[in-house]
Amino acid sequence: MSSHREAPEISKDPVADSTDLYAFVSPDAPDTVTLIANYVPLQAPDGGPNFYEFGVDVLYEINIDNDGDGVADVVYQFRFTSETTNRTTFLYNTGPILSLTDTTWNRRQTYTVTRWEEGRSPTVLASGVPCPPCNIGPLSTPQYPQLAADAVVTVAPGTKVFAGQRAEGFYVDLGAIFDLGDLRPFEQDHTTFGLSNTGLGQMAAGVNSTAGVNVHSIAIQVPIADLTHGGTTPTSVTATNAVLGIWTTASRQKVCVRGGAPWGESGTGTVAAGPFVQVSRLGNPLVNEVLIPLAAKDHWNSEPPSGDSQFASYVAHPELAGLLPVLYPGVFPNLAAFDAAGAPRSDLVAILLTGIPSGVVPGFQNYTGATQADMLRLNVAIPPTTTTPSNLGLIGGDPAGYPNGRRVFDDVTTIEIRAVAGATLPLVDPSYTPDGAAGVVSMGLTSGPTDLTAMGTEKYLPDFPYLGVPHSGFKFPSKSA
Amino acid sequence: MHGFSRRWFLKTGSAAVVAAGAISTLPGLPSAVGALETQGPADAEATLSAEADASSALEEPLVAHVRDLSTGEIGLFSGTREITILDPQLAARLLRAAR
Repeated sequence: MSSHREAPEISKDPVADSTDLYAFVSPDAPDTVTLIANYVPLQAPDGGPNFYEFGVDVLYEINIDNDGDGVADVVYQFRFTSETTNRTTFLYNTGPILSLTDTTWNRRQTYTVTRWEEGRSPTVLASGVPCPPCNIGPLSTPQYPQLAADAVVTVAPGTKVFAGQRAEGFYVDLGAIFDLGDLRPFEQDHTTFGLSNTGLGQMAAGVNSTAGVNVHSIAIQVPIADLTHGGTTPTSVTATNAVLGIWTTASRQKVCVRGGAPWGESGTGTVAAGPFVQVSRLGNPLVNEVLIPLAAKDHWNSEPPSGDSQFASYVAHPELAGLLPVLYPGVFPNLAAFDAAGAPRSDLVAILLTGIPSGVVPGFQNYTGATQADMLRLNVAIPPTTTTPSNLGLIGGDPAGYPNGRRVFDDVTTIEIRAVAGATLPLVDPSYTPDGAAGVVSMGLTSGPTDLTAMGTEKYLPDFPYLGVPHSGFKFPSKSA
Repeated sequence: MHGFSRRWFLKTGSAAVVAAGAISTLPGLPSAVGALETQGPADAEATLSAEADASSALEEPLVAHVRDLSTGEIGLFSGTREITILDPQLAARLLRAAR
């Protein structure tokens, strides 16, 4: 997945497990940027009675580098508090929850938003901001969209926040891709390792594995000038301060002592002490998931982007590029030859670690300099595409989409599979001819580049926080095996 | 960064202490503390008696992690701070108390 359960240790700590990061110029407020960091992956909507929530012992951060060194210059920090209002019941709610202050709602969260900027004292933008409840069902949360809308709070001029449950917006065919790289639309070409009676062998439609699950989102919309170096709103794509590098992190305190102490939340006696240490990180989708070796994934999660040169070889020589010609014999001969020659994938290094310099794609750049750092890179001078955007982003001719930041509907899996398959190699090596399959390979989850709903399985919102209303537990029970 | 002084450590004598993976309250800790070295500035009040500080409240957890008995390296964690002290005698006493 984008970054769901992507590393062995963080997969055991879901409240700190970042799953997706989005950054885009807000289509309905183009003088602002919207940043969304998702956590708590793969929520079964009916997962009660203790429905999902953020970690009260986790420091969530959205980091912005505005001078290209892979070090944060502006950070938005989010800390959550839980409250059990009725200590005599086992229920999450004792009646319909009709407002964010309803006394029938027993287990609720609020949060504090703090803005940190290099060289300045931290500013608490707001505290006690309510999260909405989880979407339980027609009896418990009968007016859910309004409940969630009430949790969108303006905390500063031009700045609003939301933190709470959302429908998972990332679409992917997990069942296929993690079954030894199967892509259902192309499985007739899969090697199948000599196995017979696999049931494979014919083209099949993709399956959106995340179509019915929820996630917890931390979303903030801020004026562009609050993020850029110099505090201005760039209007030129080539302006020196036009590109932001963005990533999210989750951190925990070094020490945790369980039981027997008077401190801790809800009488658990669990205490934490010491400085926060980073346990989760996410910039570009799928980097840690697909490019970083299993043994290095949790280490990658603990590192800052400024140290990513240590991982650059995994980007320059991606294992997946070598696997594709093996899994799909005869389909990627040019990629196989390039890979065999041992040349680095400078296209992937540019897309993922430095940004694309001017002159490579006409009218576009999101270069942040020579420092290799995994960050979403957003050129804020590129206006949002409001007419016929492409879910393929830049490779679909839409410069407002991934890898120029990332919008909620961008088909990042297809974009990155095609890039790894060689579709973007001519950007840096005009002599290279991509294999025909590199331009068409996909998971088969959209009907085409202008499909912004993953064939009706995603229902994004036109405005903040953009990710859809979470699936109701009553309407979307967990799938049985 | 705030340094943990000898006095500060004595004030927190009822803290849960982690030594070699064990968690234990050490009532005898104040008297066990010897010449505690700190990373911070020298504490002019280092000679304050344990009795004088016993009335002070422990307002937040204090955790000590003995990392190396031979060097006496001990990590102290409180709030969001961490400092490292070097005190072989204290490390040895903590180990004895934990056994």
